[in-house]
Amino acid sequence: MAEGLDKAREEFFSEAQELVEALSRNLLSLDASLKSGVEDPSVINEAFRAVHTLKGLAGLFAAKRVSTMSHRLEDVLDGLRLGRLALTPEVLDLLFRAVELYNVALSAERVRSDEPLPQIDTLLDEFGRVGKNPSAATNPLARFELDPAMLAVLTEYEEHRLRTCVEQGLLLYRVRVDFALATIDKSLEDIKLRAKEHGEVITYLPTGASTSIDSIELDLLLASSAGVEVLEASIGGDQVQIYPIPVKERVSVLQRETAPPPRNMSLPELSSERREPMPSDHSVEVQGGQGAAALRAIAQTVRVDIRKLDALMNVVGELAIVKNALGRMAEKIRAEGSRQLGSELHSIQRSFDRRLGEMQSGILEVRMVPLGQVFDRLARVVRQIGREMGKDIRLVITGAETEIDKLIVEELSDPLMHIVRNAIDHGIELPDDRKRVGKPLAGTIALNAFQKGNHVVIEVEDDGRGIDEKALVARAVVLGKVHPEEVDGLARAEILNLVFLPGLSTRDEASDYSGRGVGMDVVKTNIGKLGGVIDVQSETDIGTKITITLPVTLAIVSALLVRIEGRVFAMPLTSVAEAITFDEQAIRVVDGREVMTLRGVTLPICRLGRLFGLAPLPGAVPPKRRYVVVATLGPRRLGFAVDDLEGQQDIVIKPLGKSLSRVRGFSGATELGDQRVALVLDPTALIEEMLSAAEVTNRERRVGLG
Amino acid sequence: MAEERSLSVFDRRLAAAGQNGLREFLSFRLGADIHAVDLARIREIVSSPPLTEVPRAQSDIVGICSVRGLLVTVVDLRRRLHLPESPQTRLSRILLANTDSGEVIGLLVDEVRQVIRLAPSEIEITANVLGADLADHVLGVGRPDGEFIILLDLDSIVET
Repeated sequence: MAEGLDKAREEFFSEAQELVEALSRNLLSLDASLKSGVEDPSVINEAFRAVHTLKGLAGLFAAKRVSTMSHRLEDVLDGLRLGRLALTPEVLDLLFRAVELYNVALSAERVRSDEPLPQIDTLLDEFGRVGKNPSAATNPLARFELDPAMLAVLTEYEEHRLRTCVEQGLLLYRVRVDFALATIDKSLEDIKLRAKEHGEVITYLPTGASTSIDSIELDLLLASSAGVEVLEASIGGDQVQIYPIPVKERVSVLQRETAPPPRNMSLPELSSERREPMPSDHSVEVQGGQGAAALRAIAQTVRVDIRKLDALMNVVGELAIVKNALGRMAEKIRAEGSRQLGSELHSIQRSFDRRLGEMQSGILEVRMVPLGQVFDRLARVVRQIGREMGKDIRLVITGAETEIDKLIVEELSDPLMHIVRNAIDHGIELPDDRKRVGKPLAGTIALNAFQKGNHVVIEVEDDGRGIDEKALVARAVVLGKVHPEEVDGLARAEILNLVFLPGLSTRDEASDYSGRGVGMDVVKTNIGKLGGVIDVQSETDIGTKITITLPVTLAIVSALLVRIEGRVFAMPLTSVAEAITFDEQAIRVVDGREVMTLRGVTLPICRLGRLFGLAPLPGAVPPKRRYVVVATLGPRRLGFAVDDLEGQQDIVIKPLGKSLSRVRGFSGATELGDQRVALVLDPTALIEEMLSAAEVTNRERRVGLG
Repeated sequence: MAEERSLSVFDRRLAAAGQNGLREFLSFRLGADIHAVDLARIREIVSSPPLTEVPRAQSDIVGICSVRGLLVTVVDLRRRLHLPESPQTRLSRILLANTDSGEVIGLLVDEVRQVIRLAPSEIEITANVLGADLADHVLGVGRPDGEFIILLDLDSIVET
């Protein structure tokens, strides 16, 4: 018994050690991000989770000092995470000291020493002083069961007002009002005015659950000294429901991390368990049902490290190789006489193939998460930035349920955030300007996601002023990215694509949010790393639309094997539209590059053998017929001329070694199952390379003529 | 001047390598000369698996191959050391070497000889007797039993 406990205690220490190490690593990357200015919110989240887990463990093993420290640390990290506390070198210093003290405290616990550790108290005091982040004990808001999701979207000012009101001893109410869309402006002002007699409307947020399409339901957060009855009498009505926000018995803001991840607006959920039932029995039933479902969901969910899924995926990849070998073996046996045996082997191989396919899609499915995860984060950002910049923004989200690989979602967050910030900052005009051009006062940003074949398309659309093409070109000329003489020859798409050049900004003033246009080039690079493409469309005074096209998953890809000068290359099927017979006669030279016409549309042709400088293998016979593999990425199309098509195969792409990192045009290599290794073509890079090279020659030519 | 400075660099490298007496090297043949590298860095020797050439790579990279699922970039050591070319033979081998970056790199050599143990006294630090191209990659020369073995510096070879 005692032995078992000791063992568990030992495990606690080793796990605690790991967590402290993880925390330390996270702090290091925070430090790096502080220096580079590129913040990665997931790092803080990871740090937070490490500390949170540590707190739980320490509590379990009565390691009091560790748990007290974690408690406070959690608070600081939560502040950082919710943006209430700025990440400064000073804060980081404190956090780093905490890591050291963790080690001290853990060793002390390990030898069961009760010696006081005054350093910890000093550190805790300093944490208390950090920034303007009040500790849990002194946070007046902690008395109320406020929804963290709502707290997170409050602007500084609103939060300040909320604090002041609470400190003055006012009570908080949630006032739910169903407004008719047609009269919302007036009704809202009206209700604000009436509420003013009794208190202050801190903020109002849509609940996302309106009763009809002509109405919108808002939750008003009201601070007032009056009781419910007084308020009912003053602002009450058919469409108005008033709920006091409950006061907690015990003060703990830290309970919030056990709450489910904040969804849009969960104010009503909050009150449902404490408050009297909703008006109709029916809705109570629904509530109960949902609660039960949520409980079951928790019990049946497993959290899995994505690396474990990657490892499984690799095994599937290796199995696919075995499967291919089996197929070849079957062919061989069939060809060499034993037809019967060959056929049997073949059918075994086919059923193996099917099961393997099921397994593969099963694993892929596990990796998939809805894009809504990122969109939710964006929604908060939109609200906050919009408010602080004095712009009224309506965010319309469609396709949040569209699923995409977990890894891609993680990587998408920053680029999307950047695009949205740009849209608010550069795109949407100030209300007065919008009024002048006859647009609705509130700007609209639409986030649309949908699946299109093997790709997921994400559009970020705003109804702002559009990209100022003249300013863009002028800036590009100043920066020397465009020669003054070629300005007139630029096509619109070419002009708009200038936004992806490093260092471009069409605004004179840099803003806190989107900087000086530094970033769209980074966005493009990051999207490119995910195998995606980004495009921009814009109309003056109508708006801007950024379209991102991404593969659904990164793990296993179906590939077309092509032969070029005797060598086999793999081309991911996601980017292959079709393969057609190559007709040398149909090739024309336009603007110095080879093109053919496919169903009435001009298709640039890239001879891969020539591009790669591949010499024919000795004794090779030129193929009788060749093929053109048409690759598409977003709106771009390119035909790759190859000698032969070898068939289709599922492949696991392995990255090329560091010594080949400078080689462009390949996304990696893969084993084909017969000891051969094939390079995997990177259509994104190749299309980019071919088309941009063509643009350069075009420009040169135009300049030459002009 | 330059010679002195480079010698001191070699000195340090060797000192680090041969602290406690004998040091083990794996010797192999490139053309007529015998070369050797630190044995501890060699992970495996494989006879030439099928190589896939990589278009657009440096000319001294002969290709990539898979060794039991591990993707390895193979460097033609002759080309990297600017030695005269010769075709691969059945004696040709690929040494899989661990690099600092964690990557495993393949070194194509003409023939693997043996493991040799050298005492510090058998190692001569002579960067200047060899060709300038080679000098960059050479730790020194080993002279066990009157033989002449060029000791190569794996890190500098791989870096290029």
